Amino acid sequence: MSWEKEGKEGSLLKWYDIMEAEKYEYTVGPAGERFFQGLKENKIVGSKCKKCGKVYLPPRIYCEDCFTKIEEYVELKLDDAYLDSFTTIYQNDDGQKLTEPVHIGLLRFKGVNGGLFCYLEGTPKKGGRIRVSNFNYPLRISIE
Amino acid sequence: MKVNIHLNKRVAVIGAGMTQFRRRILETPQEIAWEASSKALEEAGLELKDIECVVIGSAPDAFDGVNLKGEYLSHGSGGIRKPSSRVFVGGATGVMAAITGWYHVASGMCNTVLVVAEEKMSPARPHPQSVFRYIWDPILEKPLNPNLIWIFAMEMHRYMATYGIKKEEIALVSVKNKRNAANNPYAQLGGNITVDDVLNSEVLVWPVQLLDISPVSDGGAAMVMASEDVARRYSDTPIWVDGVGWTLDNTEWPARDLAYPRYLEFAARMAYKMAGIENPYKELDVIEPYDPFDYKELHHIEGLRIAKRGEAPKLLKEGVFDIDGDIPSSPSGGLLGVGNPIAAAGLMKVISIYWQLKGTAGKMQVKKPVHTGLAQAWGDLMQASTVIIMRN
Ligand SMILES: [Zn+2]
Repeated sequence: MSWEKEGKEGSLLKWYDIMEAEKYEYTVGPAGERFFQGLKENKIVGSKCKKCGKVYLPPRIYCEDCFTKIEEYVELKLDDAYLDSFTTIYQNDDGQKLTEPVHIGLLRFKGVNGGLFCYLEGTPKKGGRIRVSNFNYPLRISIE
Repeated sequence: MKVNIHLNKRVAVIGAGMTQFRRRILETPQEIAWEASSKALEEAGLELKDIECVVIGSAPDAFDGVNLKGEYLSHGSGGIRKPSSRVFVGGATGVMAAITGWYHVASGMCNTVLVVAEEKMSPARPHPQSVFRYIWDPILEKPLNPNLIWIFAMEMHRYMATYGIKKEEIALVSVKNKRNAANNPYAQLGGNITVDDVLNSEVLVWPVQLLDISPVSDGGAAMVMASEDVARRYSDTPIWVDGVGWTLDNTEWPARDLAYPRYLEFAARMAYKMAGIENPYKELDVIEPYDPFDYKELHHIEGLRIAKRGEAPKLLKEGVFDIDGDIPSSPSGGLLGVGNPIAAAGLMKVISIYWQLKGTAGKMQVKKPVHTGLAQAWGDLMQASTVIIMRN
């Protein structure tokens, strides 16, 4: 039995409050700093495991498989970039219709572990060359 | 070994690692977990592929500011594509993570477990204290806006009043632990302070003063646990887990005896029974009781039945708990000296005992030979306690 159906607003004893910290300040970590510094120079930076050769995007300071420290950072080439998947959003979190639908793409690079969610401009399609129109995070990309 | 319950496997600790405990660490929580984990594997002589399961201990999600923190931390804890789980009993989590690692092996389910504890207290604004704002009863306690300092001030005051204990007697814990921490390479706040320094430090919430409390810290700790056959293959000095115990008491503050930590007595009895310990004062060589506040170490020494009720301060004054005493207590420097990244601090206590029993505690090594040690943590709504007993 739920009180929503049985009770009358105002006749029930309720207690209202909010939860926890007001805000958070997150550190991006050493690999994160390399990544965001790269974006400032219009570069997408990953990191490469010396032991198994795996490249991580976003870069990490350790290899999740070898568990060894990663110290090598590499610039990823847009020639190797592809769209792994995309979606189009028509409603906001409250279920209201958006005036303009928003496209989100999952940007990946051949031979690289991981990827980045980006705003996708123009008409999404399969295949085609990736262009980055804005390197400020979150990235804006389009397909030529 | 005098274990009183049926176990499939005897369990040993064969490696441990820690990050520095610091006020604000640049690394992300995953990176902190990785640093501690990789050091523990290195000490054990194992690689990640040799680890069968991962146990992650972390206190409230709201510290690091990431929900589902166990899942989030699994990446840096070597838990990807492995049976991984997270345990959480508030401040008691660090030792509970070790206990959980223990039963993964003792049950016969796994031969090797990586136990990882991490806490990053620095992201929450304006202060991580706010994370505790909603652990209280929302209707009966929350309107008074309790915080951990005033609620413990209440407990400290009751403890002092019941047994006639003076603040200067309690301050000796802070003096001892910060002095011990000066020998700990991972410590945040080691150093030589005096009882007067504690008594003259800023009054936060009477009777709690600034130097009565452990600092807010970021940090990680990790440990490798293994079954006997694996342990003997990789280590000449495996340290055996001979007893574990944990108990939860009533979360209702006004209904508890504030002078005596009954929750701990029950947890300790469970662990002593398993380890075959009848007289803890005589049989324990070195201890790491949980000390987020100085009075708590004394409170816990009594709950562990190492001292009679109200008599821990007397033994402390006699030097029993000093690094060269009969039962050195918090030789690592404890939370008061090393720092208090909640779950990581609890596991740090277990690691301290492990290194003491192995004889590799370096400058922290206690003066007398040690064979049986105990680590303990405490938390949840301050009514959970976890105890682990190890032997070499
Ligand atoms: Zn690798």
